[in-house]
Amino acid sequence: MFTTLPERFKAFHLKVDVRTLLLLQKAIDRELVKTIGDLYNVLRTFIVKSPELMGPYTRAFYDYFLSIDIRNGEQLHDAVLRSQTFQQWKEQKAGRLEEDMSRKEMANLFLDEVHITHYDIQKVIDGRELWEKDSGDVEDQDREEQEDNGEIRPLDKMADYSDLTLEELMARMEEVLKQQKRDHSGGSHWVGTGGISPYGHGGAAKDGIRVGGSGGGKMARKVMGDANFFPVDLETILNDNNIDAALASLKGIIEESAQETLDVKETINRGLERGGLFLPEIKNETDEKLQVLLFIDNGGYSMHPYIKAVQTLFRKMKTRFAYDLETYYFHNTIYGQVYSDAHRRKRVPIERILSKSPNYNVFFVGDAAMAPYELSNQSMNTYMEMTKHFSKCAWLNPEPLKFWEHTLTIQIIKELIPMESLTPAGIEKAVLRMNKNRKK
Amino acid sequence: MAEKSYWEGSDHYLCDTELAQAFHISRTLGMPLLIEGEPGTGKTELPFQYAKAQGLELHVYPAGSKSNIEQFVAKFDHVKYLRDSQVEILNAQREEKGLASKMSTAGRDTESLGDYVSKGPAAKAFSSPNSVLLIDEIDKAPREFPNDLLYALSHRKFLMPESGEVIEVSEEDMPAIVITSNREQELPTAFKGRCIYHYIQFPEADKMREIIQKHHPKVSDKIVDTALDIFYQLRKIGLERSPTTRELLNWLKYIKTFSSKEAIDKLNALDGLGTLIKTQADYEKVQRQLALGGGTPPMGTSLN
Repeated sequence: MFTTLPERFKAFHLKVDVRTLLLLQKAIDRELVKTIGDLYNVLRTFIVKSPELMGPYTRAFYDYFLSIDIRNGEQLHDAVLRSQTFQQWKEQKAGRLEEDMSRKEMANLFLDEVHITHYDIQKVIDGRELWEKDSGDVEDQDREEQEDNGEIRPLDKMADYSDLTLEELMARMEEVLKQQKRDHSGGSHWVGTGGISPYGHGGAAKDGIRVGGSGGGKMARKVMGDANFFPVDLETILNDNNIDAALASLKGIIEESAQETLDVKETINRGLERGGLFLPEIKNETDEKLQVLLFIDNGGYSMHPYIKAVQTLFRKMKTRFAYDLETYYFHNTIYGQVYSDAHRRKRVPIERILSKSPNYNVFFVGDAAMAPYELSNQSMNTYMEMTKHFSKCAWLNPEPLKFWEHTLTIQIIKELIPMESLTPAGIEKAVLRMNKNRKK
Repeated sequence: MAEKSYWEGSDHYLCDTELAQAFHISRTLGMPLLIEGEPGTGKTELPFQYAKAQGLELHVYPAGSKSNIEQFVAKFDHVKYLRDSQVEILNAQREEKGLASKMSTAGRDTESLGDYVSKGPAAKAFSSPNSVLLIDEIDKAPREFPNDLLYALSHRKFLMPESGEVIEVSEEDMPAIVITSNREQELPTAFKGRCIYHYIQFPEADKMREIIQKHHPKVSDKIVDTALDIFYQLRKIGLERSPTTRELLNWLKYIKTFSSKEAIDKLNALDGLGTLIKTQADYEKVQRQLALGGGTPPMGTSLN
């Protein structure tokens, strides 16, 4: 069942594998999935592991289960309205939709039906029972008689639907998906809401009943238009929009551990108090040091567009979680000195930098593009000394990756200092490598 | 058999439908529910209110920078064990000398190591079926902590130190486990994979009105309208730390001490803004953007 699901969801950068399918099977066995709305909710709790994945997940779900393809930046409404699934649903509903319904309202109704969960249906059924129990006028016998009359009330049909096994629905979907694959360009078959909507089931008209829906449809609509639910493009050069994503990557360099070590001093003290009985005293050693040295190339026009973003990034980093952050500036490349101010007036000899603790995480930010003669032996030696002293170094380059191989100086510096692009993804890679180089 | 029915909140707690469903899914599948979301959106309230409403036992483990698996599961009390073994020797010596009085070990027996295992919230919850276990703010714990939990979560099993006792629970009896996180650090993928995940959306105005209704039922609609209007405006202007549900409720708590006409004036003058805005920079921004007219600012700051 759904063997193609992992593959198709992966295309949306979602992590789905065979375990997800097994879990889904379990959920189906436990009767958690009875409608397509349930399927959406259950799979969401399995697959979506951070808010940014809500958008991609919703897209993948609509694509896979409903054959509704949501284009980039498109509103859910529009995607629904131009889909064949919606057309089919509308045909099924022919004559049962209110006349003056706008297209948008129809799309909303469609979405509400898609997202109906078995909880909603249950609520309606419960509500009816409650109502009947409460209405003292109707005695039990009367009701039985009524039922004997063969009057089937719409809600009974819905109860029917909730009893419908999922297998039937699933089998139909799987079948349709296969056909789709064959016909490719969307033949006459697709997953329709015929099997999805409780209204459509059994062909009986259920007009006059509105199930409010738990707002799943509303949620899906909201997700589509909200940047919070889409991953920031992690491959885009650092800018104001993805600073927070970059910050999240940077967080990874916090060294944090709660190791238990033998507290020798305490062991002796307490042992003496106990009259010579020495028991090992354990102490929790929490180490949460983060020391950062930042070297920014702020000379020349080539770096100009990025400096603000870089400064914002590291300033945020300092206020949020770095206790010790020092920023220095240089022009193009580092020789014997750097500057502690952005105007490059206050000199700091490189020796002073090299006398700092090797625990610092060192970031160079620059395009590393310069005339080859600028990158002299002295400069290269400086870099080598720095990487020798600080085991955790990274160069973040705002220059697009594809230009790297055409710039000689980038090629050289890259050999000396591990270089990544100045993107959230690049920063994450740099951080991961820094962590590996941690001195034990 | 653990409680597995669908639970939608109580008189004092408005449980979002999606959260209620995710919680139900997690209990039905015997998996922990991982809730993330902005601070002050009622993450921790869920297990508290659930346990209270259903009359279940609640075990809480607040995670912190020093959290480790021992505190969470169980640890062996070496000091007690040593004391008791010394007491035994002492008692034997006293007996030899014909002294009647003895020191007590409070019923503990040095032969059974299990007496010296002090159980943490996890072991307690796992040994009492149909209970609720809350791991609060797991993102504050060191990274090893969630990783250490992996085995226990997927095998529903804890091994007690020294005594070797195994606390195991069947999937049916699995306690309802709720884990909360403020996303201060990313949790390991493998850990998230073993949880049912739910991200709490920030409530919209309608929902917020219902929440306020639950907490401050006596506040008039007009005050609530005004407060909500200001509150959502504040959230829109992009503050460093946007005010959340908790802060709004606190603000109303303060406002409701005044008569209703006075209260509206107080709201419009942003009186008691300190309950909503928590940093100086934000405070200045609010003043600039909402252009406070008249009245002295409560914090005594000058504009700009």
